[in-house]
Amino acid sequence: MTWYSWLAIASLAICLAGCIYHLIRLIKLGKPKDYSRKSGSPGSGIIYSFTGAMNPVNKESAYLNLPTYIAGVIYHMGTFLAIILFFVFFFTTTLNKMITLPLVLFLFLSAIFGTGILFKRVTDKKLKQLSNPDDYISNMLVTGFQAATGIVLLIPDASYPVYMVIASLLLLYLPVGKLKHAIYFFAARYHIGYFYGWRNVWPAAKHSR
Amino acid sequence: MEKTDDIKIKRGLDVLNSHKDSKLISHLNSCVHCGLCAKTCLYYLTTKDERFIPARKVELVSSIYRRYFTFTGRTFPGLVKARELDDKTVEEMVDLLYGACVMCGRCVQHCSIGVDIEYVVRKGREMLAEMGYVPGSLQSTVKAALETGNNMGISYEDFVDTVEWMEEELQDECNDTEARIPLNEHGKNVLYTLNPREPKFFPLSISAMAKVFYAAKESWTLSTNMYDVTNYAYFSSHPGEAKKIAQRMYDEMHKMKAKRLVLGECGHGVRSNRWEASNYIEKEFPFEAITSVELMAEYIRDGRIKPDKERIKDTVTLHDPCNLTRGSGVIKEQRYILKNCVNDLVEMTPHGTDNFCCGGGGGQLAMSEYNDRRLKIAELKIGQIRKTGAVIVATPCHNCIDQLIQINVTYNLNVQIKTLAEIVADSLPV
Amino acid sequence: MPTIEIEEKVFEIDGNGFLTKPEIWDGEVARLIAKYDGINELTDQHWAVINIIRNNYEEKGMAPMIRQICKGTGLKLRQIYELFPLGPARGACRVAGLPKPDGCV
Ligand code: SF4
Ligand code: SF4
Repeated sequence: MTWYSWLAIASLAICLAGCIYHLIRLIKLGKPKDYSRKSGSPGSGIIYSFTGAMNPVNKESAYLNLPTYIAGVIYHMGTFLAIILFFVFFFTTTLNKMITLPLVLFLFLSAIFGTGILFKRVTDKKLKQLSNPDDYISNMLVTGFQAATGIVLLIPDASYPVYMVIASLLLLYLPVGKLKHAIYFFAARYHIGYFYGWRNVWPAAKHSR
Repeated sequence: MEKTDDIKIKRGLDVLNSHKDSKLISHLNSCVHCGLCAKTCLYYLTTKDERFIPARKVELVSSIYRRYFTFTGRTFPGLVKARELDDKTVEEMVDLLYGACVMCGRCVQHCSIGVDIEYVVRKGREMLAEMGYVPGSLQSTVKAALETGNNMGISYEDFVDTVEWMEEELQDECNDTEARIPLNEHGKNVLYTLNPREPKFFPLSISAMAKVFYAAKESWTLSTNMYDVTNYAYFSSHPGEAKKIAQRMYDEMHKMKAKRLVLGECGHGVRSNRWEASNYIEKEFPFEAITSVELMAEYIRDGRIKPDKERIKDTVTLHDPCNLTRGSGVIKEQRYILKNCVNDLVEMTPHGTDNFCCGGGGGQLAMSEYNDRRLKIAELKIGQIRKTGAVIVATPCHNCIDQLIQINVTYNLNVQIKTLAEIVADSLPV
Repeated sequence: MPTIEIEEKVFEIDGNGFLTKPEIWDGEVARLIAKYDGINELTDQHWAVINIIRNNYEEKGMAPMIRQICKGTGLKLRQIYELFPLGPARGACRVAGLPKPDGCV
């Protein structure tokens, strides 16, 4: 195996260990303890939290900021795609021509949106005040990873080692920076789902609007 | 401001380091600084001041958490803007967490991630409370409750005198000298509670609710010892003081041997007694605690009272108290009541779980320190009410009512402001 | 410390517009605060309410119950709310120069 494969596998192992650490800590601290008499159902609240409550129609953060929201969604889809391809590349880097082109286009588009989001972060006054170096680094790593994935699809041999280094950096950084929201997103949504479900605020459909 | 010292800092940090479950770390680790919550918060919407964006309030607390409790924040504080808990940080926390959040929770349901921003603000307030930085005017209201048993320091004699006076009003209104406001009677079905501002300054809502009880032939009582439905330590977020107040209500229910604790029209009073109290005292209530709003809806549904909607012809709109809707899931009941008691109900946009705070929540009404902001953020509510064209604004919360009375004058709105009990009582034929 | 200026007179107030030094209060101050709230003329009925509040404050250090105000003036509740549109606390107590009462007012 090549040095960069070793590097990527080692980074993947460290990344997984880091994520497992966060997960175990969450599980150990456990689910909410509430002494009040519940009036709704935490279970339906949690389900709603991941479904209806995520519907952009119900979310001002989405429908009041549509361009940013769409850019964000595509950016996240690009990330998932790149992660899947990361594992595919362990077996092969040459895919069927028919699918290579759309994948490359999507990845580049997503990377462009990622850059756009980064640009907004440094130019928009309120976002700039809210941001820290971690936000910039995380964005650049992910955007770079997506772009590199696209390049590998086009010119595998020349780009693969560089790609693997970028992927490794991303993996190593994930558990310590803001990218760990990949885990905490689920934890936070679980908790608000539980809370609103317990108090019969969610699912919202019950209350005729 | 008094300077911080090691003991204070330790007390503050302990709040971030004690975990009942995984809720706190979930919400402290998940904000991605997308800034999309800005336009959900009435402070930012009315002032366009970037400091007031919900995420900035979360950031204050979570940056301290990172500095002391995460690997990255301890090793490379600059990388994640991790902050020391020092005088400057405390000053900013007091200003933003006490002074620029009504704890309405509106941002929470709209956050891209699902950060419980309001909960994090409350945790930040808890740190400040443990460190002794509760704004003076808020603390003085908590202190009055702790020392006198009600947050306005009303004496036993004054309370009884006022209740007897309202009993006379009730008898006049019902044309029945047997109509009563029972005091300290054991073993009743309902122990009813009030906001002390009712006996002190606005007692008509007491006789109104008494009229509803009279019409429903309810077996009920007030207790002279503990009738205060508020818990201002919920706003100051001092867990020890909140617990003392919560325990008092729990004990009173046992002493009075009542079946149902009925929480008067007070948003945070409902929230703190119905939900938070069990958690403050870490005990499940063996009795039922419900809101008077739910109870009145029940009376109508069961046919125990028969309102006549022709008696109220003016256009009515409803202001939703945040702690009743997002905080307690009571959303349909107030609408059901109004649909049965008034002729013309016009909803505000948005309403229900998406409503805007009146501007007086989160303890703002008690805090003189941030008065100008409180009046400024009310612009949204004023605009909403104007659009409905309503003549009467009904709201099941005395705190909201007080804010509405003030902004009604400040912004020349010219509406009448009423509790739901007053509306129901007005709609009942005598 | 915030201040308000009415007719070129400056008073120290808390953020809510209540006097921070109740001892500087006199009839003139009452007239000015009332004017600030849009009450252009203080009638005898206004004064009856103000005097009861002020006396209670000087004796007991707090605002009286609305019950005492009604008893002492012989006015009906609704009349008092009409005299002071901001209510007994933010309206009448403020004009009477009291510090802000605790609670939801
Ligand atoms: S809870 Fe309400 S006031 Fe506080 S930050 Fe959220 S939207 Fe703003
Ligand atoms: S919307 Fe949520 S995740 Fe985004 S900045 Fe606001 S609090 Fe953070």
